[in-house]
Amino acid sequence: MNSNFWNNAFWHFLTLQLFKERSKHLTVAIISILLLFLLSSVLFISSSIRFSLEETLEAQPDFVISRLQGGVAVPTPLSWSDELLNIYGITKVTPRVYGRYFFQPKEKSFLIVGVDFFEEQSQKNLEKLIKNIDLKSFLKDPQMLVGKGVKEYLAENFYKNEYKFLTPKGKFETIKIFKTLPKETQLIANDMIIMPIDLARNVLGYSEDEVTNISFNVPNPDEWNQINDKISALHYDLQIINKKEVKKSYQTLYNYKGGFFLILFLIVLMTFSLILYQRYNMVYSSEKRHIGLLRALGWSINDVLKLKFMETLIVIISSYIIGVFMAYVFVFILDAPLLKNIFLGGQNLQNSVEFIPVIDMATLSSIFLLYALPFITAVLIPVWRVSVSNPKEAML
Amino acid sequence: MIKIENLYKTFYQEKNESNILININLHIKKGELIILKGISGSGKTTLLSLIAGLDRPSQGKILIENDPISKLPDLFASQLRAKKIGMIFQHFNLFEHLSVNENVTIPLIPSTLSMKEIYKKVDKALELANITHKKSLLASRLSGGEKQRTAIARALVANPDIILCDEPTANLDKENSLLFIQTIERLHNFGKTIVIATHDPLFEDLKLKNRIIPMVNGQIVP
Repeated sequence: MNSNFWNNAFWHFLTLQLFKERSKHLTVAIISILLLFLLSSVLFISSSIRFSLEETLEAQPDFVISRLQGGVAVPTPLSWSDELLNIYGITKVTPRVYGRYFFQPKEKSFLIVGVDFFEEQSQKNLEKLIKNIDLKSFLKDPQMLVGKGVKEYLAENFYKNEYKFLTPKGKFETIKIFKTLPKETQLIANDMIIMPIDLARNVLGYSEDEVTNISFNVPNPDEWNQINDKISALHYDLQIINKKEVKKSYQTLYNYKGGFFLILFLIVLMTFSLILYQRYNMVYSSEKRHIGLLRALGWSINDVLKLKFMETLIVIISSYIIGVFMAYVFVFILDAPLLKNIFLGGQNLQNSVEFIPVIDMATLSSIFLLYALPFITAVLIPVWRVSVSNPKEAML
Repeated sequence: MIKIENLYKTFYQEKNESNILININLHIKKGELIILKGISGSGKTTLLSLIAGLDRPSQGKILIENDPISKLPDLFASQLRAKKIGMIFQHFNLFEHLSVNENVTIPLIPSTLSMKEIYKKVDKALELANITHKKSLLASRLSGGEKQRTAIARALVANPDIILCDEPTANLDKENSLLFIQTIERLHNFGKTIVIATHDPLFEDLKLKNRIIPMVNGQIVP
């Protein structure tokens, strides 16, 4: 009789039960969808941030040195770049000028980055960042490349196509917007303005033999530590930072925030599982009677467990699909309102970062396992206990 | 057909021993109609649940056509129950959220039959129980008598040889109780073996050839 349980009649009865008892399943499904939505949103944001970080930092130089006096950053002598060039293993030495420019009266600030576009490496880096950039027309007039946040802020408060910067010497420097930086770089470059190095010096008040810092690459990763030590010994007031440290500090920050949410989720999930467990453990008399009745009518323990397992699995899978889909729309289409501010902060510019859709199978499977296993366990253990111990319930 | 030998059932509650059935010996032949008669607590329902293989005896055995249902693993006991035993309960025990039709299909769901074959059998059982006209109605909307007839149809749908009834008329008025007795008479004429646990005096006046087995304090009174 039980040799072919997975026949039409079983599926027919299963769908019938699900439909007829939909109100019972609906409550559980709604709570599950909300939990899954929250968990998936957090994991989607984390994955997307990690991807954007890696994309952006990959294009950054390996090392950056600057001058630090009394714990405060001061202009770095341009002559230090010649000293770097004398060290074997170092390539692509690039002096950089950058600093924050404050906009009155709203106290917003943008990061101005000056780049030497006549230097070959800087050109390549820029071309990597913005595909098909026409450098000739960019350098023809005083122009800048801006992050999406800057573009929106300027359009809203000043002019759409240009801005008049007030220099420390009290003069105005009008600079046109040439292009907006691509959205893959938004996590770091959202409030960034890139302009030719001389323009940046004017705007930020640097002299000709000063820069903010000097970047360079060390192609052989095995030499990183050795070169790090050599350069640190050059000047007592030299500070050196490498790409790995920057990457780590960003990742720590976002993992901390993601982890915080994950712990919250686990607490909620545990509570939910306990409620489910309790609910099925108490197995209110009607459920107990149903199971006993099915057993009295010729269903084996396995048959009852299969029915309950499939019922639970269908609720789980449909909640999972809906919850994950809602999270996808929330994060990648609506840009995660509220949650985004928690992850990225919103102190300076309104953070107009768009999350790039990154979904890996590991994330999806983790979500499913984190949710499905406690759920199935919480339902099936009590059902199994009732099936085994109470077939007589129907008789009472 | 049903052989019960040296059957004991004891429950333990906080070190207290309570003997529900004591040394039951009973042979029920094919086609026989048995009335287990006794007051509440005399052990009738426990005996029925043991015959159905829903519980295990503390001692002794029960054979259904030589199959020791009381000793079979759950899967085989369930198969035996599904094939050979139909049950009618005191409280009808229908799935209130399902229709009459759907309730009657339940015993056949774990079988290998297709839905088409199942519905054929269901129609036949509904006809036998005289409830075809209510087949699309939800069980929760039926009267007591209609619920009982649905329960009868469900007990008959797998065409079992044995029908066990536990206080079948306890929740019925006299008119419906008499209708139930008529149905039982009809089933008996079809050659079904029927065991009824009851204390309803209406069963004492059955015209059919039957055997009344009185039970007191878990024992059969000779």
